[in-house]
Amino acid sequence: MKAVAFVASCVVAVALVATYVALGGTSYEPTPVANPCAPRPHREATGNDERLELVVLAAADAAACRLGVSREELVLALRSVDELDQLAAKEGKSRDELEQALRDGLVRAVGQAQGEDLIGDTTAGALRFAAEHLPLGLLLDVLRRASSILG
Amino acid sequence: MGLGIGLALADSSVVTLALPDILRQFDVEIPQVAWVLTAYNLGLALAAVPAAYAARRRPRAAYAAGTIVFAAASLVCGLAPSFGVLVGARSVQALGGALLVCAALDLLTAIDGSDARAVRTWATAGVVGAALGPAAGGILTETLGWESIFLVQAPLALLTVVALVGLQARPVRGPAGRPHIPANLALLLISGALTAALFLLVLLLVDGWRINPAVAGVIVTVLPAAAIATGRVAHRFGGSRTRAASGAVLIAGGLGALGVLPGSDWLWTVAPQVLVGAGLGLSLSALTERALEGRSPQAVHGGWTIAARHAGVVIGLLLLTPVFTTALDRNEDRALRAGAAAVLDSSIPPLEKLGLAQDVLAIVRASDREVPDVREAFVDRPDDEAYRSLQATLVSELDRAVTAAFSRPFLLAALLALAALIPIAWSRGKVSV
Repeated sequence: MKAVAFVASCVVAVALVATYVALGGTSYEPTPVANPCAPRPHREATGNDERLELVVLAAADAAACRLGVSREELVLALRSVDELDQLAAKEGKSRDELEQALRDGLVRAVGQAQGEDLIGDTTAGALRFAAEHLPLGLLLDVLRRASSILG
Repeated sequence: MGLGIGLALADSSVVTLALPDILRQFDVEIPQVAWVLTAYNLGLALAAVPAAYAARRRPRAAYAAGTIVFAAASLVCGLAPSFGVLVGARSVQALGGALLVCAALDLLTAIDGSDARAVRTWATAGVVGAALGPAAGGILTETLGWESIFLVQAPLALLTVVALVGLQARPVRGPAGRPHIPANLALLLISGALTAALFLLVLLLVDGWRINPAVAGVIVTVLPAAAIATGRVAHRFGGSRTRAASGAVLIAGGLGALGVLPGSDWLWTVAPQVLVGAGLGLSLSALTERALEGRSPQAVHGGWTIAARHAGVVIGLLLLTPVFTTALDRNEDRALRAGAAAVLDSSIPPLEKLGLAQDVLAIVRASDREVPDVREAFVDRPDDEAYRSLQATLVSELDRAVTAAFSRPFLLAALLALAALIPIAWSRGKVSV
């Protein structure tokens, strides 16, 4: 009886843990984040907002690919210049490298969107001018409030 | 008198469900708020043996003094104006609790007329108190506020002094002898492991899965119910060593299962709680009986078991809390990236996405070693399907990350329970396994 009680306890304990493991209990993985360098599935854009979104996300993808970070990390860092500096420091890049990647990414995304007739020539010109000439802080502000450009 | 013992030992875990409220009220972090538990358990661990030596000379006076100190400190805890006062009062409360619990063992011998029966009553009151603590604390916290836990127990503790009326207890003299080291060491390891069940499980339910504390209090009653039910049939499991070993294995199994939960639903915690509760019912009373078996004076050896148990709780808290907070930080970063992807790929208005993603980031950053509540980011946003669906995705992502963060401390606690098998096997007596 004594040995049986101990062995039964061991069996019950192992059985519960094994059942939970079999049901996927050890397999925590966050939802995977897409590779910014890989092409994303084509999305239709109907309104101005959605067109701008596609341009900004394509720009973020291009810049993130060049910097070797995820698009999501870069987008979260767009909150302010300080956050961008923190991201640059974390990735071992200089502020200039990060800024240039953002500007080049936007210019490239604008060209792509213009080629696909997502945006008109005037909008493309304004965005390209902003990407090439505006100070970084102002450029981030423009990206955040860009609806007026399209509106 | 059983009520007094139960109250004093329940206090080692009674505030567990109140910790999230205390954390918010005093604006402290998880490692700091754990000191509300640590201070009491450390105080008991350090004071139990000296208190037992003091109690053996005048057990009635020691019980009365211990109860008054315990009740007075409880009132200060309930009215504490700052976190420092609360932690300080918890330390004083532990001193009173140590005196009360150790003196009670000698007094129970006088009441029951038998050492063995007194030990059984004393051990059972302790197990029931420790197991019921979190549930009682949770229900009180939700219905009357966390302060009520302390304000309610002060008069209840004083009520037990009535048991002293007419009671004659002789002072205990003579050398105390050496403590039963293997049994006390096993108690220390088992108690460290149980900390995970009582402290981390409650944090997971209330802070991790955002379950209402009163509901969480009901959920964690599975554990004491299993402990009490098993305690009633424990003698059928064999001698104290077999019961202790079986209990340690069941606790390890329950904690191991909590470490590999397949989902973020409280139902998954029921079976592990049953195992941990059954293990608690078997092992704590068996090890306490073993530590006191044939040892006189009992109060001193009772003091050693209290010291061992609460030192185990302190070690458990100090060991497991940093493991948990580190895992939480790491998983939160990974969940945040996944959450940002969910926001960017969602169907909410495009120009809202950046702002929402950054609001979620701000909430996570501001949470600073607490479990963040991303639902706050949606409070001032439209209540339509796109937002509801995105909120559900983010909450689910965070739930999975938080649940996984609890995994390592639970598994570590399971190892502590398994480690208790070594001193149990080492303890003298006939081999019964």
